[in-house]
Amino acid sequence: MIRRIYLTSKLNDAVIDYFSLSRFQLHHGKARCSKSTSCCCFFSVMEERSSIVKTPLNNVLTQRRSKSYRRSMRSCVEATNLGYTSGHLTALRIPRSRRTPKSRDITKQVDPDQVALLVTKEWELSYVTPLYQFRHTQLKSYSKHLSAFIVSEKQQGLAIEVGQELGFKVNFSVVLGLAETDEDAETVFIQILSKHAFAAKDDAQKVVWSGWLTCVNGDLEYLRSLPSEFVSLPLLCTRGPESLTVLVKSWFEKTFDCCFGPLGINSTNLQWLAALWIGCHPTINIQYLKLVWTLPTLPPMDVKYTIHPQDAWELWDSVRQDDTTDVSIEEVTRFIKGLQSHFFRHFRIELSAGSLMQVSTALGSSHHSGKIKIASPTYITTILQLLTECALLKMPI
Amino acid sequence: MAKASNLTRTDLDSSFESYLSVSSRTSNRSLRVAEKERRKSQTGDPFVLALKYFSEVEAGTPCSGNDVLERNLVLVERVGLSRGLPPEAISVMLDYAMSLRMGGVMCVRVLKFLIPATVVPQEAVVRAVSWLCVGKIAISTQVLFLRWVLTVFDMIDSKDHLRAIYGFIFSFVTEESLSPYICHLLYLLTRRESVRPFRVRKLLDLQTKMGRQPFLLLLLSLYKVFYPELVTLALPSRMRSGFKNHNSTWKVALSAVQKRNNGQVSSDISLTLGLKDKTNSRKRKFHHLELPSLSSSIQSNSSSRSRKVFPLEQLHSFPQLLDNLHCIELPSQMGSLLGSSLALCYLDYVQDDSAFLRLNFWLGHALHEEFLFCSGDGGSGSSSEALHFLNRLLSTQHFLQEGFSSTEGFLYKFLNVWDGSLLRPQILGLLSDIPVVPSSCISQLLFEPLMQLFFTSTLFFKCSVIDCLNSMLLKWLTWHSVYALEDGLDISLNSHTPMNMTLSGFMDSVMELVRFVGRLATVGLQLEGCHSLLLSFILDFYETVCDMFLKYGLPLVVMPPVGVFYPALFATDPVSVDRLGYIMYRYKKNLTSAKCQQQETKQAFHISRQTYQEFNHYLLFMVSCLWNSKMFLPGMAIEVDQELLALSKVPEPWTSFDLIHHPAFLGCALDFHHKCWPERKDIDLNSIKAGKQWDWYPEFLFSQGFQGLQQFVQSSINRRSAAGINGQRGSQPTNR
Repeated sequence: MIRRIYLTSKLNDAVIDYFSLSRFQLHHGKARCSKSTSCCCFFSVMEERSSIVKTPLNNVLTQRRSKSYRRSMRSCVEATNLGYTSGHLTALRIPRSRRTPKSRDITKQVDPDQVALLVTKEWELSYVTPLYQFRHTQLKSYSKHLSAFIVSEKQQGLAIEVGQELGFKVNFSVVLGLAETDEDAETVFIQILSKHAFAAKDDAQKVVWSGWLTCVNGDLEYLRSLPSEFVSLPLLCTRGPESLTVLVKSWFEKTFDCCFGPLGINSTNLQWLAALWIGCHPTINIQYLKLVWTLPTLPPMDVKYTIHPQDAWELWDSVRQDDTTDVSIEEVTRFIKGLQSHFFRHFRIELSAGSLMQVSTALGSSHHSGKIKIASPTYITTILQLLTECALLKMPI
Repeated sequence: MAKASNLTRTDLDSSFESYLSVSSRTSNRSLRVAEKERRKSQTGDPFVLALKYFSEVEAGTPCSGNDVLERNLVLVERVGLSRGLPPEAISVMLDYAMSLRMGGVMCVRVLKFLIPATVVPQEAVVRAVSWLCVGKIAISTQVLFLRWVLTVFDMIDSKDHLRAIYGFIFSFVTEESLSPYICHLLYLLTRRESVRPFRVRKLLDLQTKMGRQPFLLLLLSLYKVFYPELVTLALPSRMRSGFKNHNSTWKVALSAVQKRNNGQVSSDISLTLGLKDKTNSRKRKFHHLELPSLSSSIQSNSSSRSRKVFPLEQLHSFPQLLDNLHCIELPSQMGSLLGSSLALCYLDYVQDDSAFLRLNFWLGHALHEEFLFCSGDGGSGSSSEALHFLNRLLSTQHFLQEGFSSTEGFLYKFLNVWDGSLLRPQILGLLSDIPVVPSSCISQLLFEPLMQLFFTSTLFFKCSVIDCLNSMLLKWLTWHSVYALEDGLDISLNSHTPMNMTLSGFMDSVMELVRFVGRLATVGLQLEGCHSLLLSFILDFYETVCDMFLKYGLPLVVMPPVGVFYPALFATDPVSVDRLGYIMYRYKKNLTSAKCQQQETKQAFHISRQTYQEFNHYLLFMVSCLWNSKMFLPGMAIEVDQELLALSKVPEPWTSFDLIHHPAFLGCALDFHHKCWPERKDIDLNSIKAGKQWDWYPEFLFSQGFQGLQQFVQSSINRRSAAGINGQRGSQPTNR
């Protein structure tokens, strides 16, 4: 089974390989890729499918008795919603184009202190299925319960009264203003503080773990289709010891009947990130663009490829077809192909044979395994929107 | 339970002897009268007198050298240890013992033979507890008493009064040597009402004093079940086994008594916590295939504190479920329901959409992570877990008689990456559970990936795919027949269906499915050289298809394609031909009754002329081929040039597939020939065709078990009794 998946993922790369054939044309200026049409078809099929998406769950909730019919209708709609394109498991709803990143002073809407908590740190990403009966008004009691839970799990076989003073303190807080649409639930920030065992009574507690659940510009149809008891905060960013992450996740699973899974950033999304960051260069100096590829040689070869921001910007500017506010996937792919063919001319190494593992600029960095660091608050919503999309694509329903 | 015994306590105040005999009696009236007579004559029964002595004996009566006491005590002891004591006797003796009227030694001695025959009256226990509060009894005796209560706990006739003195019992918890037993008793008595913050605090205090005692933790874990917002704890795995049994003193005598009284009464012997034991031996990094344990949720509790709720964790039997149906609380994690059929019963009953959605999220997540994202530690090592998980999912779906939508969504994706061998029976089983797929997307979702797998896999896989599609069709048709009836749906097109899927939509889907299987079958039979195993699965499918109108009320008849019909007709094994005969017989039945209905109701029907024509073609061919020995004639379905036939040098080629020469029946024909003319050396099969033998031969075939053929012949062929006429044209329900 795994082999099949592997093969099919290769197949997707093969589609992209068409572009590498056209790299010579690219060198002659802004010539159109001869093979790009085939790729367009590939994506437009998915587009069509996404356009017939209906609200899958609302129409479920009507009819009670004829359950089999009801379910089947739902499943059909759902299936189109999910996109089960052959080989490309989560192809659907992957946008073909995005807005160019707009610089937005987030600190005007969001408390700068809270923003400071989010940026300049590296976060590990997970996706979360919708939380059942999560209420933003209950955060205080969640704090109490989570801290009691952590202590009781750490001290197996010791009953803990909820609400008691403990070695751990948990803070739940809302980060207001990060949500973009009305359907987005407000971001929730969680901090776990610990008191040192021998600390004096008035010693400050140290933050040992932090994490946040967020949803920025989530797919409207998906969010609207959820019944009101569910709150979708599909993206979880965590930072801290793994053991605490596991405990927090398991508490959430027990309390809100949700499920967590790791969220990797695949090479397409890394390419998107690279393009988004390079697009910011005119307003903020990105200082460098660093890409890391891993090539499937024996032993595997890592290629670190750092590009001067001005060169990168010029290449990006040349592949941009017009000055619309949208960036298309073709432009992004062409940009990356341009970088790859440049590399090929110098080193005779075909980077497209490997996979892109890491992208970093002064604005932030992200890693294939699902790690992200956002250095500047200016473009935070753009990044979070992309990550929210990735997380929503992982939803089982 | 002892309560269920057909005895009332009023019977007991007379003789115990007679009582026992009554208990094992059928309620025969005359017998009962005789019994009463006997009872009256036995008022001087020594056992009754002994009990009377114990109930009336004055406090402070010396026990050493008291012969009356000794005699009575021995008598009651003997009865107690051999047959068990009736409720009244238990009551008297317990009161006698706990009141310490004759000192602690007597008390211990009495407690040891206090074996109930049927039930223990709760009042006796309540009174005994009140004696406990007096505080004169030695600690070891108190322990013995509590152990006794725990042993006979299931035989106490009702527990509400005991629950009423929960607070009194709770107060003993601080007594160090009693504490384990008190905790156990409290554990058995605890209801949601009895969990109070001050009690929780008391137990937590005790915990700090005494350390992590299992009995405290078990009681606290029960408190957590009722009020997870008050207390939280994680039970270490070694403590999951539950309370110890304290029945050693009475175990032997009790089981002997119960055996004797043909006791269905079960006691404390298997009183355990029933917490989920973790069978996970190997530590996995990701536990997505592990069922979460049943536990109540923090949230709904706090909101509905006033309402009486019954956590699913506490549910152990179906009657309990029925009693508490109105106040059952769903667990915090819906995935835990998958492990319990009782909980599934409830889920099916409530039809709560968010509950289903929660379950689907969990299930979909588990399936996706395990089989699609493979983010765990790889699929290879966990195949047994995956197998176990899928089997459980399958049995759940069969229990609920419907597939989960997350399973369905998962399958559509998984079919594209499946190699066709990983967990094949499970995957195909799940696939057969998917609900009706609208015809607009059925081909893309289901047929395309299946077709690819089908044509590139082994014969066995092909058979299992056909089988899977057959059971899928069966389920669809069953749903249709159930829900069409339930919603009062008329089987005509012009009624407005209240369903999301209209009848015609449903029919389109079924049509698509049947046609798809027809295509698969045609090509599959060619690829596998008309393998009879595959043919058998295909005929299974058409046995379902041919009866769609009569059995499931679906006005749809689809004939098998030629690629299925002719291979079945010319099959070398008689079973296939026989089954084809049965299928044709059922088609005829369905078509004729559809036609009747059409004429009666005078409505436009969707069974097209073409279907009738196809059927007539097949029927005509089958009759002329098997019965009339006519083949390859112009105008028939299979035409072969006469010259070409002559080239083959087969004598009388048109007879080669009649009932006598058909390769499938050749053996039978030879057998028949031998039976008709035992002494004939040269075999001339054609001689069967003449005279009486031709009448007998079909009978002979039918007697060999070819029922399908028999039904076919009887329904489609008018046989004239006149010998010499080689059968008749089949009668056909023509539409022309």
